Amino acid sequence: MAAASPSVFLLMITGQVESAQFPEYDDLYCKYCFVYGQDWAPTAGLEEGISQIASKSQDVRQALVWNFPIDVTFKSTNPYGWPQIVLSVYGPDVFGNDVVRGYGAVHVPLSPGRHKRTIPMFVPESTSTLQKFTSWFMGRRPEYTDPKVVAQGEGREVTRVRSQGFVTLLFNVVTKDMKKLGYDTGPVDTQGVLGPSLPQGNPQ
Amino acid sequence: MAEVHVIGQIIGATGFSESSLFCKWGIHTGAAWKLLSGVREGQTQVDTPQIGDMAYWSHPIDLHFATKGLQGWPRLHLQVWSQDSFGRCQLAGYGFCHVPSSPGTHQLDCPTWRPLGSWREQLARAFVGGGPQLLHADTIYSGADRYRLHTAAGGTVHLGIGLLLRHFDRYGVEC
Repeated sequence: MAAASPSVFLLMITGQVESAQFPEYDDLYCKYCFVYGQDWAPTAGLEEGISQIASKSQDVRQALVWNFPIDVTFKSTNPYGWPQIVLSVYGPDVFGNDVVRGYGAVHVPLSPGRHKRTIPMFVPESTSTLQKFTSWFMGRRPEYTDPKVVAQGEGREVTRVRSQGFVTLLFNVVTKDMKKLGYDTGPVDTQGVLGPSLPQGNPQ
Repeated sequence: MAEVHVIGQIIGATGFSESSLFCKWGIHTGAAWKLLSGVREGQTQVDTPQIGDMAYWSHPIDLHFATKGLQGWPRLHLQVWSQDSFGRCQLAGYGFCHVPSSPGTHQLDCPTWRPLGSWREQLARAFVGGGPQLLHADTIYSGADRYRLHTAAGGTVHLGIGLLLRHFDRYGVEC
């Protein structure tokens, strides 16, 4: 039964967490989750995932390849609160404890099509010299208790971060009934998909 | 009423000589525009990049506007500040850019500038920091009082903005 006037639109996302560039670190794994507004609900697929531990490639690229699949479908009545994917990358420190090596977030592309996104990854920093010293001494880095804060705009003015890597994501976006609800998402773009498939240092 | 969704990120900034940067942002609209949900101003985190010279903020923006007219299309205004190791903040640049008018994904590069001031102020800025700032932030996005200023170039702020329009075709507006 295809309703004549739908009230819900669907957003289907497939893709992968392709690879990462972290010049200073090795043996990293990646967690992803989605953050979305109140009007949104997942209808199919997994909205969380945790990848394998990847080591750097032994060539000039120094790439950490995860090739980790993403496949999720959301429904909503309002584009406000459009889903963001939140990534957190972890790896062992010199004592073998897992510590965070980067947080990052990006909106799922708005327009249908194939999109590649290279997202910067950052870690929070201690604000005081005493905290800096104790975290160095105890070997415990500051972390967010909930990684989802990186998808929020409020309350950021108190945080100091250090950006130290990039993760490349690939999205295939399909929308259903957006046009019927009166939304214009613009032309289908394939922004950033052309060109080499692994990050080439710092994207501009 | 026609609706506009502005969804995207303030990605970061390049070309500033200072290293620890953050950005205060806001969005200004005309009287016909109403913000239905989202926050219209904010401040990013302070980023000290370890690789390359681009500061990354990845600051999310999600705004839902309803409008009765096209006049006063939204403008984003930005203030880039640098923070030193003592936590003191110094202005690095002002900038504004219009939210694009066509739906889809857009990469925006917003050039910035800062007021120069007199030669005494320039000298003082070079040695002790600080420097002149605008008293009225609306000078950033309006062209009315700009002719009185003498400015110097700052770096560039990079934004990735996606735009969704609703019911514009119902009113015969071609975007």
